[in-house]
Amino acid sequence: MAKWGMVIDLNKCTGCAECVAACKTENNIAIVGKEQSEMGRTMLWMDILTLYEGKYPDVKVRYLPRPCLHCDNPPCIKVCPVRATYKNEEGIIAQVFPQCIGCRYCMAACPYTVKCFNWTAPDWPDEMAAALNPDVSARPAGIVEKCTFCIHRLQKAKEQAAVEKRDIRPGEYLPACAESCPTRAISFGDLDDPKSEVSGLIRSPRMFRLLEEIGTEPKVYYLSESE
Amino acid sequence: MAQIFPEWTNRLPVIIGAAVLMLLVGVVGFFWYYGSPKYTDVGYRPEQPIKYSHKLHAGDLGMDCRYCHSSVEQSPVANIPPTQTCMNCHTLVGLDKPTLDPVRQSWTSGVPIEWIRVHKLPDYAYFNHSAHLRAGVGCESCHGNVREMEEIMQVQPLSMSWCLDCHRNPDQHLRPPEDLTKMNWTPPENQAEFAGRVKKELNINPPVDCSGCHR
Repeated sequence: MAKWGMVIDLNKCTGCAECVAACKTENNIAIVGKEQSEMGRTMLWMDILTLYEGKYPDVKVRYLPRPCLHCDNPPCIKVCPVRATYKNEEGIIAQVFPQCIGCRYCMAACPYTVKCFNWTAPDWPDEMAAALNPDVSARPAGIVEKCTFCIHRLQKAKEQAAVEKRDIRPGEYLPACAESCPTRAISFGDLDDPKSEVSGLIRSPRMFRLLEEIGTEPKVYYLSESE
Repeated sequence: MAQIFPEWTNRLPVIIGAAVLMLLVGVVGFFWYYGSPKYTDVGYRPEQPIKYSHKLHAGDLGMDCRYCHSSVEQSPVANIPPTQTCMNCHTLVGLDKPTLDPVRQSWTSGVPIEWIRVHKLPDYAYFNHSAHLRAGVGCESCHGNVREMEEIMQVQPLSMSWCLDCHRNPDQHLRPPEDLTKMNWTPPENQAEFAGRVKKELNINPPVDCSGCHR
């Protein structure tokens, strides 16, 4: 059984936000509009955190792409009263939209604030409504959503592999962010396979994880920027 | 002094208790049966814009399901055929039949016929026809004996528990590829053995994980 994980090389990340755009279109994430956005209700499954260091004119900007970290010991699933979020056997923290009652305990429990809440029903411009991804359901108002590591792509890759009577090949299942990254800063693969690209990368001395000390064991690893 | 309450009122708590219990059982039972898809969905047979008979085409004439629903083996969606598919034959057959007028109208005007969808899953449940056919689940398992139906009717509840019943134990529904569109198919005696073999060969492992369908 695979254990899916992601490695983001901050040396390569230019902060272009292509991953954010790819994620939004792939997963039919609602566009909330200016007014809601100013209230802090922007919906992003993949966000780019920016850190400003130093004072003008010597400013250094650091970028940190942040999807759901798919913790191996996730605080969010422990608080869900209806099991709408759970860890599947391949380590992906899945979100079952029709099961969610919108209590938002999981949002409070998540130390990385990766979850977003649908304050209103999604409303797309006509041109975009015709281009929604049929593999991902559109979420109604009143439920919580977050990055699923594009689990529908895993499902598709598995179905394709079943037709060809083989196992999933490395690189066959990539989330939209990893696939779209122009600098290949985001790598994705099986952490349990010692020969995979990601398990090689996490042996790097530059490897770190967010808030490692709280014991959530995230499966999204970062490679720190070299000075 | 006479008693305020006559003697029969001693039985009142028991009577009220029994009545409340019966009411509760009645209400639960009512919604259990009349609220379930077995009652609300099974038997749905809308009137289609054209009296198209599956019994005539698929049954009596013996056309394969996949002649019209051609994408069923490649795509998640089993397509409803375009007017072109009807006209493949009906440019030559049934020219004098007035029942075919709407088809010819659609053909000349280019406006598609608006068929009414019968088997409809909620938007939040993902379903893939091609994956089921590849595994060897026949059309009949979900759609019933279409070859006998004048008008298409929903015969299975299409509820989540109904899906899960088969996902947990698909053995009785797996068929060899050549029997997929057969109707009135009954599993042979060695079905358990066949299912065991085919599950290993085709790597059939139906998802029972929530995210298998809800994503």
